[in-house]
Amino acid sequence: MSAESITTGTAGAPTAARPPRVRRPEYGQLAGVVGLYVACIGAALALSALLVEVTGGSSVDVFSALLNGSIRGDGRIGATLGVAVPLLLVALGTILSNRAGLVNIGQEGQLYIGAACAAYAGTKLGMHGPHVVVLVLLAGIVGGALWAGIAGLLKYRRNVPEVLSTLLLVTIASQLVGYGLKNQWLLLAPAEGRSNRQQVSRQLSADTRLPRVTWFGNQFPISVFLAIALALLVGAVMVRTVWGMRLRMLGHNRRTAQRAGVAASRYGGAALLVSGGFAGLAGGAMLAGGDFGNYTLVPGFASQIGWTGLLVALVSRQRAALAIAMAFVFACLRTGSSFVASTGVERRITDVVQGLLVLALLVPPALLFLRQRRRAQNAAGDRT
Amino acid sequence: MSGTVRLEGVSKHYGRVRACDAVDLTLEPGRIHGVLGENGAGKSTLMKILIGLVVPDAGTISIGGERVALRDPLDAARHGIGMVHQHFSLVEPLRVWENVALGEAGALRPAAVRARIAELSERYGLDVDPDAVVGDLPVGMRQRVEIIKCLRRDPSILIFDEPTSVLTPAESSLLFDTLRHVVVSEGRAVALVSHKLDEILQATDEVTIMRQGRVVDHVTTADVDAATLAASMVGRAVSLRGDRIAGAVPEAAATDVETAAEVLRLDDVTVRSRDGRILLDELSLSVRAGEIVGVAGVEGNGQRPLADVLSSLLPLSEGRVFVGGEQVATGKAGAMARAGVGVIPEDRHDSGVVLEMTIAENLWLVNPSAIARAGVLDEGRMRAGAERLIDEFEISCAGPDAPMYSLSGGNQQRVVLARELSNEPQVLIAAQPTRGLDVGAIEYMSDRLRKAAADGVGVLLISSELEEILDLADRILVISDGRIIGEMDRHEADLGRIGLLMGGQAA
Repeated sequence: MSAESITTGTAGAPTAARPPRVRRPEYGQLAGVVGLYVACIGAALALSALLVEVTGGSSVDVFSALLNGSIRGDGRIGATLGVAVPLLLVALGTILSNRAGLVNIGQEGQLYIGAACAAYAGTKLGMHGPHVVVLVLLAGIVGGALWAGIAGLLKYRRNVPEVLSTLLLVTIASQLVGYGLKNQWLLLAPAEGRSNRQQVSRQLSADTRLPRVTWFGNQFPISVFLAIALALLVGAVMVRTVWGMRLRMLGHNRRTAQRAGVAASRYGGAALLVSGGFAGLAGGAMLAGGDFGNYTLVPGFASQIGWTGLLVALVSRQRAALAIAMAFVFACLRTGSSFVASTGVERRITDVVQGLLVLALLVPPALLFLRQRRRAQNAAGDRT
Repeated sequence: MSGTVRLEGVSKHYGRVRACDAVDLTLEPGRIHGVLGENGAGKSTLMKILIGLVVPDAGTISIGGERVALRDPLDAARHGIGMVHQHFSLVEPLRVWENVALGEAGALRPAAVRARIAELSERYGLDVDPDAVVGDLPVGMRQRVEIIKCLRRDPSILIFDEPTSVLTPAESSLLFDTLRHVVVSEGRAVALVSHKLDEILQATDEVTIMRQGRVVDHVTTADVDAATLAASMVGRAVSLRGDRIAGAVPEAAATDVETAAEVLRLDDVTVRSRDGRILLDELSLSVRAGEIVGVAGVEGNGQRPLADVLSSLLPLSEGRVFVGGEQVATGKAGAMARAGVGVIPEDRHDSGVVLEMTIAENLWLVNPSAIARAGVLDEGRMRAGAERLIDEFEISCAGPDAPMYSLSGGNQQRVVLARELSNEPQVLIAAQPTRGLDVGAIEYMSDRLRKAAADGVGVLLISSELEEILDLADRILVISDGRIIGEMDRHEADLGRIGLLMGGQAA
């Protein structure tokens, strides 16, 4: 390069041969991460044990009930898998919108609307046959996507922060589905078909349900495979495709993205739609899978899966593949805690135990995130 | 009132950079003292030393013959020094009196604060309503609120840092009236920091001119004219480097440039900010293939909006932009990049790179479709292309998969340069391309820009460093207040005239 000749001629400060300043990912770092998790979970278990013992219960009983309810008991893994499916689907949508720099926290509502649309498609259109189950799931996707789309419109047309709009839409969704469940022309089942006086939808007929498989005595819906496949797909899309790369660009640096051709409204809007679609699919899969509400849309059908799915995304640190494992862990906490009640330990105490375990999973990613950001900031500060 | 403020031999170094180098400055009661200089001349550092924000490495400060130590702004305030900053520190949703009371210790007495504001407003003719909400006030009025915040403590020494940069001419002249009033009738000392020649001439009694951290001249305003001041301000440093460059680099054959196709044209481009200020004012310019056009000017005169428009970050209020003869939509994501406008942005972290992504991804940021099949990235081609560019542009890194934030500033800049040039642009916008780089990296960047021009790219070099412009540009435009107010060929570049133009004076 002629640059060197100019340089040596004038300033005597050669440009080349500056030592590379790169931090390689080290195995020591990985061990540190594992250690952090072990320490946090250990602390949570110790605190939980202490709390249960102090209040007069048996910590051994509690933990053993947790295990029995989630994985150890007969067929419980199947039940846990059934819960893990919607958790994973919600988390995938969350991860995708997070990567685009959006904070969609209204999955609970998107899921509920998705489930309602799925119920309508499955019970009111009068169709039968296995293909209807596909239609049911698609209706769920469309419902969830449209519900998130409202937040998208508000954001890109009116500058309403999506954090607020998605959250507030949860309340509206629950009112809206409640209205649907009160009116026969929408979702309410005819009085003669109802087992009780509750306002519920008609049950999905047997040929419009997701098939269930049985492995080693554990029965679960085939949506398990769908969810895992989608997790791998989301992971690949984010890293390997132009669209995913552009979403990440948008999430990390909006102005650079704008200059490079990533319109925030288009890509961000799409990310919100897809994210809502995942939540809606979760709702449809819950309805057609049978683990929630016995193939019937009931009041409170969403059962906090939307909120818990957010936590799954959070602890997975935006990694779709990791979300598979984390969704299972959170599903274990849920199915396991249903057995804890039988130990006689007071409900409030077991709730605290569960909360402690969730916290133990949330703390390490938060610490890791802070460290990463500090490092990036330090690097950014180096230039002057 | 206390007496004369005297700074003697004040120095402040940041690493190898001498922000202030043995500066002497004397502020007399009852006089307005102008401090004139280009960006980076050390004016701001000097003022920060005076109000205790920066502690000098060497030198003494005395007030009224008594030596003082100004360790923090409270120290400075105790000694009666107050400053009106260039950038306001006002809380917009709060009322004027609330803003004035902010930062006061002790009990809050709204009535007393209001009364004081009314009194000051009356005495200096500032016409400020203590109960107005700051967010509703125009910029000029906000500055008066800042002035009241300062005057409220009855300072004996007032510092104004680039006070007119946000004001209209009418507001400026009102401000200077107030300044006169404060000084003459009350025996306060005023330091007016500015790069605008006419306001220095209009408002000050004496001027200290700074360049590269040193005081190069101190004159009585009545004895000088704009041309003298301009020459002192841009001064010798420029011609020195100009000589060296003239000796080292053969003159490029500029003959075919005049007939070459026009690759970039801006027609009467006007941009207004959200609050209605005019950022670019019917600005027109054109760049031909193979030509380096330099946009000189003091920072903050529209350089940023100009680069933003050409980065698709800012839509026009009026006017048109043509690239290669085709009109291009402004403010539309990626439109400029697709039309063939490469940009080396002023702040690469703001709009040049994504620190959290890998080097390879950053190299393909603008045009990932080129290495994709049906929307799926071809990892092999991505890496191979990245490795080629890393070699070609001598980017020191651990490999294409290393995260962008692991690179030094100079290498990040090379990534931007490599990407923008590899997209074979028709036009390359280089905004302050060598800021913060070391000498070697600066030469590398200059060389690359020359080479790009030699390859037929039209280069628009936006820089507040005159040396850089004189070193590289074939044609020089001077920007002031969002307009191009002067144009000259490199051969006929006249420092005096550029200085005048940069100071906002038509010449």
